[in-house]
Amino acid sequence: MAHDATHAHDAIPAHDGHGQPGGIMRWLTTTNHKDIGSLYLWFAGTMFLVAGSFALVIRAELFQPGLQVVHPDFFNQMTTLHGLIMVFGVIMPAWAGFANWQIPLMIGAPDMAFPRMNNWGFWLLPVAGFLLLLGLFMPGGAAAGGWTMYPPLFVQGGISYDLTIFAIHILGASSIMGSINIITTVLNMRAPGMTLMKMPLFVWTWLITAYLLIATVPVLAGAVTMLLTDRHFDTHFFNPAGGGDPVMFQHIFWFFGHPEVYILILPAFGVVSQIIPTFARKPLFGYASMVYATASIAILSFIVWAHHMFTVGMPAAAQLFFMYSTMLIAVPTGVKVFNWVATMWKGSMTFETPMLFAIAFVCLFTIGGFSGLVCAMTPVDIQIHDTYYVVAHFHYVLVSGALFAIIAGVYYWLPKWTGHMYDEKLGKLHFWLSVISMNVTFFPMHFLGLAGMPRRYADYALQFAEFNMIASIGAFIFGFSQLIFLAVIIKAIRGGRKASDQVWEGAQGLEWTVPSPAPYHTFETAPVVK
Amino acid sequence: MAERRGSHWQAARAVFWSFFGVRKKSHYEQDAGRLSPAQVIVAGLVAAALLVLILLGIVWLVAG
Repeated sequence: MAHDATHAHDAIPAHDGHGQPGGIMRWLTTTNHKDIGSLYLWFAGTMFLVAGSFALVIRAELFQPGLQVVHPDFFNQMTTLHGLIMVFGVIMPAWAGFANWQIPLMIGAPDMAFPRMNNWGFWLLPVAGFLLLLGLFMPGGAAAGGWTMYPPLFVQGGISYDLTIFAIHILGASSIMGSINIITTVLNMRAPGMTLMKMPLFVWTWLITAYLLIATVPVLAGAVTMLLTDRHFDTHFFNPAGGGDPVMFQHIFWFFGHPEVYILILPAFGVVSQIIPTFARKPLFGYASMVYATASIAILSFIVWAHHMFTVGMPAAAQLFFMYSTMLIAVPTGVKVFNWVATMWKGSMTFETPMLFAIAFVCLFTIGGFSGLVCAMTPVDIQIHDTYYVVAHFHYVLVSGALFAIIAGVYYWLPKWTGHMYDEKLGKLHFWLSVISMNVTFFPMHFLGLAGMPRRYADYALQFAEFNMIASIGAFIFGFSQLIFLAVIIKAIRGGRKASDQVWEGAQGLEWTVPSPAPYHTFETAPVVK
Repeated sequence: MAERRGSHWQAARAVFWSFFGVRKKSHYEQDAGRLSPAQVIVAGLVAAALLVLILLGIVWLVAG
């Protein structure tokens, strides 16, 4: 797609000073999409370090069989908080950060449609994060019933379970506000000439993700509200003694939970679809089919939820239905992987850090997709449900999938955000350490799961010792490697080689027509897209 | 667009191919010119319902 953009504001300084407050008040009161994007990304980065350190507590305890490091109840708190924070406090806010920074820049809009709601949507997040972590200091410790919040554990727990429920409510409100903002911005504020089918794929994937969020987050809010009333107001939605059914929670939760998986991964598809054409110096192969495939995945995501709960009991007909519908997802996902590979085919490829992470994404996400197909088969899933095979599967999807795409996106757009090129040597070191240690951590978990090691236990039988030791070593290398990423970002913010407007030779799109760093206000006069 | 508006049948065909994930370029360009977003969304929802019914039919054949 060739854009011919006009922009008459190259000369505008980074802050054109029309009375905004300075210091902390700038960040508390900002309605600027770039400021809010940065706030989301820093929040996600901070929570990544918090939830990552929880993962290292888990891996330290599992380094050897037996109980050495933490009390089993604290171990359960760590698994619960690690999952909740990584999903709701890291991946989702990181994508919201990308959306805020990039969507107006990519569609030629001056800002998001509802800038004040944008501010509110962000500032709810630290409150929710605080509530989640506050549980650690409450009597009985943090919630320890798993990130899926299943009753009866989540009905029986102490005050930190209430804090978790409130945190989920607040996070949901924030997500819905963000989604309304993104949909309105994309549908109403595109530059003249930018039809829907000319939008960059990242914008498309976020548009569809925003609809998924609006459709499913209220369902989650309903589920946790029912937990709350079961806990305090004598309802019995999930209590069999009062005529309720705990399995109903699982159905409601996963009706949210499966589309949530795509909420986490669709923007990743978008980022990778921006990066691969840039460094292959070819337009994206099959743009329209990528849009179609994204929409198909979104629709299918609503009719597969019970594959998460094959073992709780359901009629054989339901098991078959959910098995078939789940396997169908391989078709549009396969189309995407094919298109990425076809884009690279005979391209003039170079391998800067964003491209390395994007290629790792394509390879490793595909492994996660294949193990997902294994889990989709009901008779197989009944064997491996709640084992480390499932842990391996979803970490390949979410670490080498969503997280690698986030890292790739940061490297890709960091020169546009900061005005400086990042340190390529450190970036490559970060890549190789991450990609090797990620596989050392999670690949052995397939073997552990197939051998029958259950997830969410602080201890395990002796025969699982070697693979657990390998996984723990990999996890510590992976965790500490991320400090290199932090160093690269800080280094690029503080200085470095000046980035050009286009930054990357093969980069196409409106965001590359504005100066680097992108001025505080961009596209006050709409560009024209031909 | 000077072209006339696409029929429901054309919307259904576009959605069918989108479920599969590929579309011939000339047909895609016709779709993009003639179909309105509302047509595609309605056709998509109808097709999703049909897909569920087809899957239920297959389940009924296998397990019925």
